[in-house]
Amino acid sequence: MQTQLFWGRQLFLTTPPAFTTQMRPALKVGVLKVHCQRCGQATWRWQAALPRHQYYCPQCLNLGRMSTLGQLYHLPEPNQFSVPNQLLTWTGQLSPLQAQVAKRIKQTMQSRQTHLVWAVTGAGKTEMLYPALVAALERGERVAIASPRIDVVLELAPRLQAAFSQVEQVVLTGQTPQYRYCQLTLCTTHQLLRFYHAFDQLIVDEVDAFPYAGNQALLYATKQAIKPTGACTYLTATPGPVLQRQARREHWQVSYLPRRFHGQPLPEIEFQKIDNWRVRPLAPHLQQWLRQRLGRRECLIFVPKIADINPLLQSLRSLFPMVRQAGVYAADPERTTKVQLMRQHQLDWLVTTTILERGVTLPGIDVLVLGADEGIFFDCGVSANCRAGRSECAMSNWNGVNGGQASIGNDSSRAK
Amino acid sequence: MLSRCVQCQRELNLATWWGQRSLLPLCSTCREGVLTYGVPTCQGCGRTSSRQPLCMDCQAWRAQYGWVLPNRCLYQYNDWMRSYMEQYKFKGDYYQRRIFMTVYTKAVRKCHAQIIVPIPVTEATWQTRGFNQVLGWYQGNYQALLRLKMRDKVAQSSKTRQQRLATPQPFELNRTVDLTGKRILLLDDIYTTGRTLYHAAQCLRTAGAREILSLTLAG
Repeated sequence: MQTQLFWGRQLFLTTPPAFTTQMRPALKVGVLKVHCQRCGQATWRWQAALPRHQYYCPQCLNLGRMSTLGQLYHLPEPNQFSVPNQLLTWTGQLSPLQAQVAKRIKQTMQSRQTHLVWAVTGAGKTEMLYPALVAALERGERVAIASPRIDVVLELAPRLQAAFSQVEQVVLTGQTPQYRYCQLTLCTTHQLLRFYHAFDQLIVDEVDAFPYAGNQALLYATKQAIKPTGACTYLTATPGPVLQRQARREHWQVSYLPRRFHGQPLPEIEFQKIDNWRVRPLAPHLQQWLRQRLGRRECLIFVPKIADINPLLQSLRSLFPMVRQAGVYAADPERTTKVQLMRQHQLDWLVTTTILERGVTLPGIDVLVLGADEGIFFDCGVSANCRAGRSECAMSNWNGVNGGQASIGNDSSRAK
Repeated sequence: MLSRCVQCQRELNLATWWGQRSLLPLCSTCREGVLTYGVPTCQGCGRTSSRQPLCMDCQAWRAQYGWVLPNRCLYQYNDWMRSYMEQYKFKGDYYQRRIFMTVYTKAVRKCHAQIIVPIPVTEATWQTRGFNQVLGWYQGNYQALLRLKMRDKVAQSSKTRQQRLATPQPFELNRTVDLTGKRILLLDDIYTTGRTLYHAAQCLRTAGAREILSLTLAG
C-alpha cells in the first residue's frame, strides 16, 4: 500500500500496513458508552457491542465499519506538491463589491482566521474564492472545498477544473471512492471523516444546508480534517440564528455581500393563499398559473414531502398530458439523470423536494413552492426562490401558500 | 425491551405492534418485505415447490447422497432479505441481529434437537467481521463441533451456482466425538444451493449422527 494514501488521512485497517505509521485506537470504550474516534459520536455499549468483548461504531457504518478489531492508521500531511506556474486560468472579472470580499477572504485565509462569508445566492461565491485559492495554492497549502450536497460538489467540480486547469484535483463523493493525493480536494462533508489534520485551508460551502447543520459527526469531522494550524472558511446564503450566534461568540470574521454579481435584484416573491393544494383536482388558481407557464418557461415545483411528489405528478399529468414532467427526490436512482435532463431543457416541469434547493443552477426558470408554510421551507424558501433569477434574468415567482405567510416573508426580506 | 423499530429507529406503538402478532421488532413499513413461505413447500429445502414431496434440487441431492436434509427456511430470500444481509453481515451492523433474535431462537427450540451445531466462520472472519452471523440470532447453548479446514477461502456468496456446487468439503470435526444416535440441528443463515449444509451434514453423519436437520433464516 502506498504511503501517499495515508498522508493527512485516517484509515481503519484490521491488519497494519507494511510501513510504519502513526496509530490511534478506533474507538475508546468508556464505562457506559463507546466513543468513535472517526465521527466523534458516542453510542451505548450495549448497542455497539460485538461478541468477545469487542465494539463497533454503528453511526458511521456507511464509510466502512470502525471497530476495536483494528486501529486507525495515519501519516502526517507533508504538503508535497509541485505547484504549477500559472495557477488561475479563469479570465472573468470580479465586480468591485465581489473584489472587496475576495480580498477579505484572501487576508483571513493567510492569517488563518475562521471566516463566514454571507453572500446572497447568485453573488458569485465560487468566483470570489479564486484569488484566495491562488494565494493558498502558491504557498503550497493543501486546500479542500466541501459541501453537504452532492449536487453542489458535482456542479462545482467542472467549474474549478476550468478555473484551475493546471492544478490536479480530486472529487470525492460516496459514489466515486477512488482517492488520489492532490493539492485541491473537492468532497462532500461526509468524506471529511476520512481525513485527519490534512488541510491548511478548508472551505465549507452551504454550511447551513442539511445534513451538515446540526450534525455533530460532520462538525467533528470538519474540525478533525483541518490541521491544527489550518483555517476554515464558511460560505452561505442564509445563515441561521445558530450559525450567526456561533460566529459572534467565537469571533469569526464575517463578510456580507447583499448584491448578486449581475447587480439585478433578487426575484420578487409572490404569495398566494390556497386552502388546500393537496386536493385533487388541483385548486383553480394553481391550474391557471400552471396554464400560463405552458410552453413558455421551464418550471421547478417544490413540495415539502417525498410523499407529495407522486400524487401531484398524477394530477399534473392528467391536466397537462403534453408537458414533459418528472419528479425527483433524494433517494431516486435516476436523480442525476433527471436533473441533467432538466439542464438540457428536455423537461418542462420538475417536481422536487428541497434537495434541488441549493447549488443547482438552472437559467431562466420559474419556481413554484407548494406548501411554503410547512416547516421544512422556513430556512430554505429564499434559496429556492433564488434559483429562478440565477445566471440570466430575474423571473416573476409565485408561491402557493396556505396560511403562515409571515415567516416566509421575513426570510425573504432578510435575504434581500 | 425494544420499543423502537430496529431498522428505522422509529418509535413502535406497542399496542398496534402486539396486534400484528409478529415477534419481529419492526414497524409495519419495515416489515413489509419480510415474507414467510406458504404451502406447498419442498420437504427437503423448505422452499416453495410445485413438485411434491421433493423439488428438483433435492431430488438431485438424494441421488448423490442417498438421503435428504430436511431444512426449514424461516423467510423468503427476497430483495429485503438481500439488503438486510448486506447491512448485517457484510457491512457488519451487528445490532441488526435483534430483528430476528427472538424468532430464530424460538424456531431452534421448537426443533427439539439434542445437539445444536452452527455453521462456523473462519478465524479471519472473526478478526475482521468480529462475529458469526448465525450466532448473532441464536441465544442459547450450542456445540461448535465443526471447524473449517484451512485453505484459500472464497466466500460462497461471491460464486456462481456451478462454482458453489463444485466446492469441495470445507468442514472437519473439531474434536473426535461419538454422535451415535443423536438428533442434530444445523444452523445457517441462507440456503442457496444447499452445498454448505450438505457438506456439514455429511461430516456429522460420518461421526454416527442418527438424524440431522437444518434451520436457515432465509432460502
